[in-house]
Amino acid sequence: MSFYDTWSAVFIALIAGVILVGTALIGARLLGPFAREQGKSISYECGMLPTGKNWTQVHVRYYLFAIMFLIFDVETIFIFPWAVRFLDLPSHAFWYMVFFVLILSGALFYAWRKKVLEWR
Amino acid sequence: MIPLENYLVLSGILFSLGVYGVLSRRNAVLVLMSVELMLNAVSINFIAFSAYLDVTQITGVIFAIFVVAVAAAEIGLALAIVLRIFRNRSSINIDEAAELKW
Amino acid sequence: MNPFELISPQLAILIGAGLILVYDAIFPKDNRYLPWMALAAIAVSVSFAISLAVRGEYHVGFEGTYSVDKFSVFFSVVFAGIGAAVVFASMNWVDRVGRRKSEYYALLLTATAGLMFLAGARDLITIFIALELSSIPQYILAGWGKDERSGESGLKYLLLGSIASALLLFGMALLYGLSGSTFVPEIATFIGENASDNRSLLILASTLIIAGFGFKMALVPFQMWVPDVYEGAPTPVAAFLSVGSKAAAFAVVLRIFFEGLNAEILSNDWAMIFAVLAAISMTVGNIFALVQSNIKRMLGYSSVAQAGNFAIGLAAIAVVGQEFTLAASAVLFFVVAYAFTNLAVFIAVIAISRHLESDDINAYEGLAKSAPLLALALGIALISLTGIPPSAGFWAKLYIFNAAAQADLAWLVIVAVLNSVLAAFYYLRIVRLMFRNVEDQIGSAPFAIPKSIGFVLGITVLGVLVFGFFPTPIISVAREAAAIFSIG
Repeated sequence: MSFYDTWSAVFIALIAGVILVGTALIGARLLGPFAREQGKSISYECGMLPTGKNWTQVHVRYYLFAIMFLIFDVETIFIFPWAVRFLDLPSHAFWYMVFFVLILSGALFYAWRKKVLEWR
Repeated sequence: MIPLENYLVLSGILFSLGVYGVLSRRNAVLVLMSVELMLNAVSINFIAFSAYLDVTQITGVIFAIFVVAVAAAEIGLALAIVLRIFRNRSSINIDEAAELKW
Repeated sequence: MNPFELISPQLAILIGAGLILVYDAIFPKDNRYLPWMALAAIAVSVSFAISLAVRGEYHVGFEGTYSVDKFSVFFSVVFAGIGAAVVFASMNWVDRVGRRKSEYYALLLTATAGLMFLAGARDLITIFIALELSSIPQYILAGWGKDERSGESGLKYLLLGSIASALLLFGMALLYGLSGSTFVPEIATFIGENASDNRSLLILASTLIIAGFGFKMALVPFQMWVPDVYEGAPTPVAAFLSVGSKAAAFAVVLRIFFEGLNAEILSNDWAMIFAVLAAISMTVGNIFALVQSNIKRMLGYSSVAQAGNFAIGLAAIAVVGQEFTLAASAVLFFVVAYAFTNLAVFIAVIAISRHLESDDINAYEGLAKSAPLLALALGIALISLTGIPPSAGFWAKLYIFNAAAQADLAWLVIVAVLNSVLAAFYYLRIVRLMFRNVEDQIGSAPFAIPKSIGFVLGITVLGVLVFGFFPTPIISVAREAAAIFSIG
């Protein structure tokens, strides 16, 4: 076994990675226009000067809700395959899913008690 | 049928784009998005392998499901930490998080 | 046998974590008993693990994806002990922070349970889930402190950690694509039959997996998070990261590489990766540790160097082949010795910086006068980290160097010994600073050590000394635990 045989895949991956990432990095540098002046970063380059902040303040609670939603939403991914094959599954599969949902409701209970669900 | 190689090349390119994003973006949320891209590239790999090589067991698909769930947990957590930092500093550029060098 | 009985140690801890959260949600005012609930959960878990071992209930459960064997029981007990020590060490600090106590202990318990799952996982999916179960709480805990640096270190740990898991997953995907299975023994069968055809791709997969776990172990090309996170994270959490998560990564690497990728045609190659990483980690870690002025940063780099010592063991195991158990038990013994030693160092640092309110090494000058016991404890632990007899660290290093020498890795042993000399400089510098005679005492105020910290510091230092004088019992336990693997 030669050195090349052993490490060829690693080297190919390394070279491919360097080329792919390198072209992206260099391409962005070459193709992208870079003009670092104040005027470039205002909201309307040729229009009226914006007044006030261009960032709308969103209440921090909103993000908490978004994160909570994201997590519970993605957990349903485990329920889909279970639901599709439900009729073919042995009976304890039902109880496993009940247990899973119970854990999720435990988390919801915790969030409720910690007053995360209230919009204060 | 589309040959397996195409999927692998696609996933390789996506993964590299993710690495590019991690290296070039300074905004914590954009770095997170790049990491998601890397994770999803891996999921493509798993699903492609599962569809082509392991038709009876579909372990790869199950793995992909777990990757998605874990990625969501990481994103939720990262956003929470970013929020906490943002409230202190009103900036999420990781360059400005300079007390500890990046 | 009921599969849930197999994971009863982990279940005990997880149920404990859940109870702590629920208890706090129902009785938010009454939070004095939370750490004791956590300790009770850990105690129940240890008793379950030991009862499994005593009854000889070594089985695989959950379609083979989780295995209770001597190896996983050994690590379960070690992780539970680490968890308990960190609970003791953080009690005082958590009380001072004074908010979200229940979450702190619940997350600590969850991370501990994740580490315990990691020790017994035998399927790539289980390994990944267990890894994330332990990592995600650690990300949160690293950002627990009130100051900004803590939040930053949490974010940095999280971002770099997810990049590492992406690399790890890429390696796992390759392994799955080649062998058509995520089950480690099936991967082993496949490799036994087809290794020579796909050798190069298998090496690529191993490299990626080593990169993913190298991050957790803090081996060198993946070490950039270590000093920052250790400095920014609360000290008890840093202690947990430096022993728990590192030991777990080594446990799972032993599992994947020695149960899955152990074909001789491969093992020599990844052994070489480990040998090279070991040499680089030791050298880089020690050189950077020399110039640090913050003790937590210094401990971070020292932990990088110690990871190199672990990796020597991994390299030796693969090369030795038949004499496998010798080197594997060396790694396991090192895990125990390192856990006691490093916990002692970190806990002493917690007690000291609590008083000095500074992590600056120079502030340790003349500590022996104002706090002789504390200085003595830290001194013993640092001596053990250096590897001077009679301490647990001495036997651990001797044992691992011996294994490497038997594996014809003489060059690595030479590098390691030179590095030990280098390490002695910065470890003993602190000892010298502490015992230097200072005329006007600045920190002459009486040193109050909280009971919980004093207790656990005593236990760990005692462990360092006991294993230093009587290493044989733990060596024989490590030998038995390591004997479950055999290399082809």
